[in-house]
Amino acid sequence: MNLGSLAVRNIRRNSTRTFLTALGVAVAVVSFVLLRTTLSAWLTGVEHAAEDRLATMNKITFVMPLPRRYYDEFNGARGTVEGVKAATFQTWFGAKHPTRTAEFFANIAVETDTFFDVYSDMAVPADRLAAWKENRQGAIIGDALSKQFGWNVGDEITLTGTIFPGDWKFRIEGIYTATRRAVDRSQFLFHYDYLNQSIPETRRDVIGWISCTIDGASRGAEIANRIDHLFEEQEIQTKTLSEKALQQEFVGSASAILTALDVVSMVIMLIMMLILGNTIAMSVRERTHEYGVLLAIGFRPHHIAAFVAGEAVAIGLLGGAVGLLVAYPLVQQGLGRYLEENMGSFFPYFRIPPSVAVIAIALAVTLAALAAVIPAWRAARLNAVEALRRLG
Amino acid sequence: MSEPIIVCKQLSRTFVRGSQRLEVLARLDLEIEPGSFEALMGPSGSGKTTLLNLIAGLDRPSSGSLRVAGKELAQLGDAALAKWRSQTIGFVFQHFNLIPVLTALENVELPLLLTSVRGGERKRRAQTALRAVGLEDRMHHRPTQLSGGQEQRVGIARAIVHDPAIIVADEPTGELDRESASEVLDLLTKLNEDFNKTILMVTHDPLSAERAKTIHRLDKGQLL
Repeated sequence: MNLGSLAVRNIRRNSTRTFLTALGVAVAVVSFVLLRTTLSAWLTGVEHAAEDRLATMNKITFVMPLPRRYYDEFNGARGTVEGVKAATFQTWFGAKHPTRTAEFFANIAVETDTFFDVYSDMAVPADRLAAWKENRQGAIIGDALSKQFGWNVGDEITLTGTIFPGDWKFRIEGIYTATRRAVDRSQFLFHYDYLNQSIPETRRDVIGWISCTIDGASRGAEIANRIDHLFEEQEIQTKTLSEKALQQEFVGSASAILTALDVVSMVIMLIMMLILGNTIAMSVRERTHEYGVLLAIGFRPHHIAAFVAGEAVAIGLLGGAVGLLVAYPLVQQGLGRYLEENMGSFFPYFRIPPSVAVIAIALAVTLAALAAVIPAWRAARLNAVEALRRLG
Repeated sequence: MSEPIIVCKQLSRTFVRGSQRLEVLARLDLEIEPGSFEALMGPSGSGKTTLLNLIAGLDRPSSGSLRVAGKELAQLGDAALAKWRSQTIGFVFQHFNLIPVLTALENVELPLLLTSVRGGERKRRAQTALRAVGLEDRMHHRPTQLSGGQEQRVGIARAIVHDPAIIVADEPTGELDRESASEVLDLLTKLNEDFNKTILMVTHDPLSAERAKTIHRLDKGQLL
């Protein structure tokens, strides 16, 4: 036994109260970890977005289309835009599953020949890629989407169009997997030609945006400027951004939500601190007589304060550890996998970052110590004679 | 004749309660020889526990001087007084006051945590103290697993483990049945006679007081 272990052993005194308090801390830590992981998952797209891939879109807003001829001009001028390696284009299709309409997934009409040259972080077996290119109604889907809807190669499926009304029939020709964390594993990709030739003539030959890969990430801004310069004199001007900048713009539009999550996560920890502070204050009141005994036999006020603080820190540490032990399997094995597979467009990678775990445990311990400041200060100011008079 | 171990001169202690001044001890003179066993008796509010607290260095007098075990207590600061207390005084309390989460052995070891004595030696000394009070077979029991008499014997072991010169006991038999009380008093007598410990005991019980060599009677803060 030593002074440290004596402080820690006090947490066994009222095991029900200690258990409930530690449980409170654990729940707070789990909530904190979940909120912070959500924040982190949201920002993962930015962190891991390709910096060497640019997107060229309508300068007014990415919702408005570009003429398809821009792609041809872009390609035609590629020789003059030094640094561009490969280019493709895409159009947002926006269809839904006919019965599971609430389940969002990105479905995009893409330029078949060039798409996977630009998106080399999406891996498709060569034979499946060839089969897809051969079939005008073929689709390639992400592995998470395949799992979500139970779709496999060879399945004939129908989507209900919203931007482009009607029933759209497809055959799954391949399944891609991601080789980079930020890749959405829930996309549905099909032939642009199938879309373009199936819609009224007045709506044809427009595209959503052009994507291209470039020589070096550091030259992104310079190359983007040169691409936009190509269309400067045309009726529709373009805005070219790296994927990372695009993701930053998207995340920026949700900044209020992110800030709210941030604040709520801290509020939860502060509530935990108050609960713990109340428990420690109660236990100090109950043990006043005992502290009087310790003071009588020669313990000093700083020893008493250390016992109180030590007990609070031990409960904080215990609760924090339990919280992490619960949060890890909950997120890594359960919730994270579910979100990646069912909401991959928003959360392509939903796992607890090690920094969040470290911050959670450090906060639990630090706030527990802070919660003990007032009770410890009061306990340290006890007068031995007065304290001995009070019976516990 | 040796120098007294406790010398109180014109010792007063006054408490202020709101607008009232309450003089609990009034210019009290007392000398106690080393190795004596003295009992303090008197009605409630007579100042027995206040005098005991002053002598044990738990409280400070309002006026007068107090010399205990060669130290003028008024000259010691709070930290020095706490250190002096941990070396010089052994406390035996009416309600035993053992720490419930610790075993008997650990409770007895408690005062040694304040010393430079190392872990193994601390344990050995605590075992010796528990053997001295006849509880070698209860060392690893928690207070809730002990009878009242056994708890008080652990309390006495805790009071002697650091080999203090003086043992102060505040109603040490107040919570015990007659048989257990007798065992505790036997122990205190043994500590006084065999180990020459100076014992100062506050008690209401005339039978307990009879074990002391000297009985002091207090009333209204003065020795009769």
